[in-house]
Amino acid sequence: MSQVLHPIEQKILKTLADKKTLTPEELAEVTKLSLDQTRRGIEWLKFKNLANVTESEKIIVTLGKRGNEAFEKGLPERQLVNHLRSLDGYSCEMNAAKDYLKNEFGPAIANAKKNGWIEVHENRLMLKGYHDLSSEEKIIKTISKTPIGVSADELEDKSALESLKKRPDFVVLTSKKSALVDLTEQGMEAAKSVPDNIDFESVSETSNKVEQEAKVVRAIDVEAAAPVIFAAKSHPLRDVIDEVREIFVSLGFSEIIGNNVQSSFWNFDALFTPQDHPAREMQDTFYLADVKAKTTAKPDQIKKVADAHKKGWNYQWQNEEARRLVLRTHTTCVTIRELADQKHDEARLFSIGKVFRNEKLSYKHLAEFHQVEGVVVGKNVTLRDLMGLQTEFYHKMGIKKIKFWPTFFPYTEPSLQSMIYNEKLGKWVELFGMGIFRQEVTKPLGIKNPVLAWGGGIERIAMLRYGLTDVRELYENKFGWLRSVPKCQ
Amino acid sequence: MPVVTLYFDRVKKILGKTVPKAKLVETLPFIGLDIEDETVDHVNVEYSPNRPDYSTDYGIITGLQGLLGIKLGMPALKIKNGKNTIKAHPTVSKIRPYVTAIEARNGKLDDETIRQIITMQEDLHNGLGRRRKKASIGIHDLEKIKFPLYYKTVTQEHSFVPLESDVSLTVKEILEKTETGKKYKHILEGHSKVPIIVDSDGKTISLPPIVNAKLTEMNAKTRNLLVEVTATDKNAAEGVLAVVENTLQIAGFEIYSVKITGAGNSTPVLKSRDLVLEPELVNKTLGIEISNQVIIKSLKKSRLDAKMRGKKIVCTIPRYRTDIFGVMDLVEEVALGYGIQNLVPTMPESVSAGERNGITKTLETVRQIMVGLGYLEVMNFELTSKEILYEKTTRDSSKIISVADSKSQEHIILRDVLIPGMMEVLSRNIHESYPQKIFEIGTVFEKASPINEVVHLACLGAHKDVNFTEVKSVLQSLLKTGFNLTCDTMPQKEPMFVDGRTGSVMINSKKLGSLGEVDPKVADNFKLRTPVAGFEIKITDLLF
Repeated sequence: MSQVLHPIEQKILKTLADKKTLTPEELAEVTKLSLDQTRRGIEWLKFKNLANVTESEKIIVTLGKRGNEAFEKGLPERQLVNHLRSLDGYSCEMNAAKDYLKNEFGPAIANAKKNGWIEVHENRLMLKGYHDLSSEEKIIKTISKTPIGVSADELEDKSALESLKKRPDFVVLTSKKSALVDLTEQGMEAAKSVPDNIDFESVSETSNKVEQEAKVVRAIDVEAAAPVIFAAKSHPLRDVIDEVREIFVSLGFSEIIGNNVQSSFWNFDALFTPQDHPAREMQDTFYLADVKAKTTAKPDQIKKVADAHKKGWNYQWQNEEARRLVLRTHTTCVTIRELADQKHDEARLFSIGKVFRNEKLSYKHLAEFHQVEGVVVGKNVTLRDLMGLQTEFYHKMGIKKIKFWPTFFPYTEPSLQSMIYNEKLGKWVELFGMGIFRQEVTKPLGIKNPVLAWGGGIERIAMLRYGLTDVRELYENKFGWLRSVPKCQ
Repeated sequence: MPVVTLYFDRVKKILGKTVPKAKLVETLPFIGLDIEDETVDHVNVEYSPNRPDYSTDYGIITGLQGLLGIKLGMPALKIKNGKNTIKAHPTVSKIRPYVTAIEARNGKLDDETIRQIITMQEDLHNGLGRRRKKASIGIHDLEKIKFPLYYKTVTQEHSFVPLESDVSLTVKEILEKTETGKKYKHILEGHSKVPIIVDSDGKTISLPPIVNAKLTEMNAKTRNLLVEVTATDKNAAEGVLAVVENTLQIAGFEIYSVKITGAGNSTPVLKSRDLVLEPELVNKTLGIEISNQVIIKSLKKSRLDAKMRGKKIVCTIPRYRTDIFGVMDLVEEVALGYGIQNLVPTMPESVSAGERNGITKTLETVRQIMVGLGYLEVMNFELTSKEILYEKTTRDSSKIISVADSKSQEHIILRDVLIPGMMEVLSRNIHESYPQKIFEIGTVFEKASPINEVVHLACLGAHKDVNFTEVKSVLQSLLKTGFNLTCDTMPQKEPMFVDGRTGSVMINSKKLGSLGEVDPKVADNFKLRTPVAGFEIKITDLLF
């Protein structure tokens, strides 16, 4: 036997080898261990395949409130019999009995008749026959002998129990699960090598430290399982956001932040999205109910953007429409405002934050998710640079196979989308989009140099990272998942 | 994005050259199409709404011909002079002022061609036509019409047999009772009269932008078509017409003009336009060095015309290319014609050192401290429901901030605190082992003028021994470790917490938040059987 047995295990083994089968409670009583220690010991033995535990279920019958009353004063039918006995002629009018028994009158009459104790004659009750203990009374008596109740199996008169069960509050039935412990063959074998004198000093809680140290350290079972505990940690999605942020910083980008609630001006108009564009309709975008922005931008910015719309889209631009507040549909509104206000000639900026779409939630769509967007402003920046930055970003994320396809975004020209090869899925997946800001966007806002922009959703990356097929799982906050996702992957 | 089905046997016929299936499918993304799915006999592709000319297989094949080098330059456009006229009446000016049209003759329609045309029509309605508001199209069997046509207004008592109906209906009935009537009647709102197109016999052929008459419905036997477009914007009307015209010509129809007169209308010209492109802009933007000849060839592969004029390139753009605004659009056309796969990524040198935003840094620190204190981070949505935010927590909802027309009942209200969402998290995890300790850092919204956004930190502990003191210890430790601050906690009333077991968190006599033991009634509303205690503070106020 390679295993070292704890004194608790030894004690249980020895006891069970002798007594064969016991419940944990009985074991605790015999071994004089605490119930907790006994249970722990049983678990250990079970784990080592030295003991078997079989679960069984028992129905325990105890007396209810009225059962207790009945035990003290007798069942209503017994009370009726006793009352009649005390009367002259052993009889009385129905109404008199009713006054005496009140609510119990009905069941008392019915049961007394059933037991053959009384008969009814022209509205009078008369005692008759023998009045031995009824089967119900016998059961109440049996149950009342023990406060912990009686197993339903031990009650012989099942039909009497059934009839008592039908009478409210007389008996209470509870299901009690109990376990029976016995030893396996290996357990019987192991019990043989348990010494007669089990060293219990070191488990005793009263033994003091000095004494303990003075003794030789008792070996414990180092192979035994230890309790499971969970480390506190940041959210898996947060880890991906942080990783993306770190990559941007390492590529020389500085972070800018902005509000989730934006005026339509910065979310749409400044990005050359015409006011009648389908993307601006309520069915795609969340507008705040009942509030509008007091101011949106500098008067000069508003005028030039309005002119660009008039020229490019040939319609009457409305400032009122631009004041409507939206939950931003992209982080580009933060970027464009920064560029319009600061007029950087050269810059690398990025922004990470929530964006919102009026979508019904599904396995691939959320109504709000995180987006990252980076921009490079510079006199000589090119589309190939943009592709290079994107490639470098992916390499740092551990993505090696990348290709680019043309696509369309309303505020960039040229526009590309990147496709990455996902090894787990074995296919190409669309990821970040990119492009160079349209001159219709940059010129009215006084941005002189070309602006490369690229970005996309972070939940998408998180899904690939954690192998999720339903994006909603990221926000379900199920501890089972949060606690088990490995931090390093 | 809209979807078009390409049947390989049709592609083979229209393309003019046999190209292996694999090569075709491989090329599609490089003209800007997303492949949805592919089967043995067809492939479904999504196109961007800025390219309505890709709304049929004809248009897509035109693009493929260019990139595959089968046909280069603008598709030849021939519009013959037609004899027929549409006369617009001045009364349409206030409702839907513009009408324009062409005839397409001697073509052949089959079921698939009709399906492609109808899809194109719907896509044009939704895109360029702005859900029919700006422009809408009617396509008719020319043989059923007696010219000239009149574009005028009538009262809602006017009646005719519309498409999808067997009986004559009044305009009023069409608007109130038919599906398309109900869907689009808002476009005509505010006008007692409605626009209508009738022929010389007085027969109605269309009620724009709602529905055509059954009389002129096309079918597989139709050979000659009338395409009319009515609009509130002349430019949009002609753009839409140009897309249909180009498509029908590729489909084998001969195109004839229709004379348009009256109320400021004129016969559409649908003529191409020229843009001057500096070769340097192309090379500078794309980061390549290619010759003028390569640029010209690339433009032609994108089905545009181009030639040198001095040192510049003059590019000719057909009328149906409504997506081209300026020279940068041409740069993209060059990139597509040149082949995106031929652009090799380069890594520009960084001119700056990057850094995180200051607020981000602080929040990361706070997060680390909370994890150090044994709390698990959760992340909830910022949009939530009234039920979770106010009802279950018995909080005052007078400053509620909601969004309009949300598609989901659970995402209607912007949260003003974090704890309710976190209670919901505990509620979803009652079967998981305790103790449960969670925290969240997130944006919340306050009604101000108009809205303030602030960052909150909240934490909740749920286990049988949790109490006020435990969470106060955590709060103290966080403030000390993170900000070297101490706080006072003063008695207060807060509906989520038990009276007498809740305090306001005060720093330098300014209220920063609350802490307390969650009221068992509130916990019960979240089906929690375990005691819960926690705190919530405004982190934004610590960032001085």
